[in-house]
Amino acid sequence: MNMAMINPDALSNLPTFLSLKPATIQHIARLAQVVSLNAGELLYRQGAPPTGLFALQEGRIKLYRQSRGRVQILAILMPGDGFGAESFSTGAPSPCAATALTAVSAIHIPPDALGQLLSAHADFQELLLELVTNRLKQFVTLVHDLAFRDVTSRLATVLILRAEVEGQPSDEGIVFDRLLSQQEFADMVGTAREVVYRTFKRFEEDGLVRMTRSTILIQDLDTLRSIASKKPVKPPDICKTNHPM
Amino acid sequence: MANPRPVIQVSELLMLSAFRAMPETQLEQLAAILVGQTYAPGQLIFVESEPSVGLWFVAEGRVKIMKQSLNGRVQGICLMNQGKCFGSCPLFNTGRNPATAQALDNVTLFVLPQEQLQHVGKADPNFVAALLHVYSQRLESLARLSTSLSTWAVADRINDVLLTYADRIESQRVVILTHEELAALSGTVREVVTRHLASLEKAGTVRIEPGQITLVDPSALTLPCRFDDGELAVT
Repeated sequence: MNMAMINPDALSNLPTFLSLKPATIQHIARLAQVVSLNAGELLYRQGAPPTGLFALQEGRIKLYRQSRGRVQILAILMPGDGFGAESFSTGAPSPCAATALTAVSAIHIPPDALGQLLSAHADFQELLLELVTNRLKQFVTLVHDLAFRDVTSRLATVLILRAEVEGQPSDEGIVFDRLLSQQEFADMVGTAREVVYRTFKRFEEDGLVRMTRSTILIQDLDTLRSIASKKPVKPPDICKTNHPM
Repeated sequence: MANPRPVIQVSELLMLSAFRAMPETQLEQLAAILVGQTYAPGQLIFVESEPSVGLWFVAEGRVKIMKQSLNGRVQGICLMNQGKCFGSCPLFNTGRNPATAQALDNVTLFVLPQEQLQHVGKADPNFVAALLHVYSQRLESLARLSTSLSTWAVADRINDVLLTYADRIESQRVVILTHEELAALSGTVREVVTRHLASLEKAGTVRIEPGQITLVDPSALTLPCRFDDGELAVT
C-alpha cells in the first residue's frame, strides 16, 4: 500500500465531497492522504480497529464479511463511494473487510482527523451521516434479497446493476468488465460456486448472457429484468396485525 | 392510531443510552421537542416505503423491525428494546422507511419529528455524534445478519436469535417470543423453529413453557461466528 500527500484539486472533483464548502475541502486536504493499492491487496481486515473514512477515486473495492471461511460480499464500491467509517463512532472493530478488486486509489481520512473535521464543520457532519445512512439502506436491501429472493433472481439483479452502472453498448448488447470471479459472484449472491456456474450456464444457453475470461455481454436485458423481478411463490403466512393504522 | 402521552421528563431521557453524554440544558431542549406515544401489542408504528416521519426512541416495551416480501413473508431485522433508537435517514427530506416497525408488547416511544430533527441535527455536534453512534451499531448488525443469512445453517441462526434476544429475568435467561417471531428473525418458517426447539429441549439446553423459552444451558447454543472478529483480528 502506497501513501502520498493530497492534491487539493483531487478532492473538489470527487463526487463524494460535492456537497462540502471550500473551507471544509481545504481542511480535509491538510489532513487526508492518498492511498494506492494493487488488485487483490487488502485495505483493512474485519475486526480491525476503526479505520477512518475512505473515498474511492479510482478502481473497484469489495466490502465483505467472513464467517468460518465463507464470505458474503456486502458491496462493490465504485469511484465516488465513501466507506470505512462504519465503526468510527462506536470504536468497535470493523464489521467488514475491504479488498481491492482492481488497482485502486482512494482518499483516506484517518480516525483522529475524522474527529477534528466532525467537530469543526456542520457540512462534514451531514456528509458522514448521509454516507452511513446510504450504506444502511443498501444493507437493508441486501438482507431483503437474501431472505426473500432466489439465487437466479439475485444473480440476474447483480448483472443488471453492473450493466446499468458500467455497461457500454456494443453490436450484440451491453458489455462490461467481468471484474468478479465465479467464486466472487457466489459470495455476492450468497450461494456456492457450483450454483453460480450452473445458473450462468443456463443464462448462456437461453441466449441472455455471454461470458469470457475478462468481459460479460448482456444480450437480452429485458428477459434478465423479468427474471430479476420474478415474485417468490410461497403463500403469505405471518405479519398479521389486528390494529388499523 | 397511537395514543399521546404526557410531557417527557429529563430523567426519562437519561434512561436512553444515546442521550447519556448530553449536557442537561440540551436534554431540556430535547424533552420539549420530543413527543411521547404509546402503542398496543401488534400495532404498526410505521410501514416500509412510506415517508419517514422522524426518529424513535424506545422508552418501554419491544419493537420489531422487519421487511416484508410481496407475498407477505416476513424477515425480522431486529428487535429494539428499552433505550434503543430506530427510524430512518432522518436528516434527508427524501427519506422513506426502509423497513416496517411493529409493537411487540405495550410500547412507549419518544418521537423526534422530522422537521425538528433537521433543526437539531444540523446545529448540534453532540446530537450528530449520538446519531452516528446509533447508525454504526445498526450497520454492524445488518452486516452480521446478511452474512448469517447466506452462510450459516438455520439451526445456528435460531441459536443466534435465542442468545441475542434473551432477557435476564432474575437469574434466568428467558426469550419471550413466539415460534413465528423466532422464525421471522432467523429467516425460516415456524415448523423448523418448533422442531429445532424440541431437539434443544430434549438435549436439556432450553425449557419450553407457554409464552416463553428459558435458556437452561446457554453455553450449549454454539454459533459459527463466535470467534469471527477475534480470529481475524490476530495477525
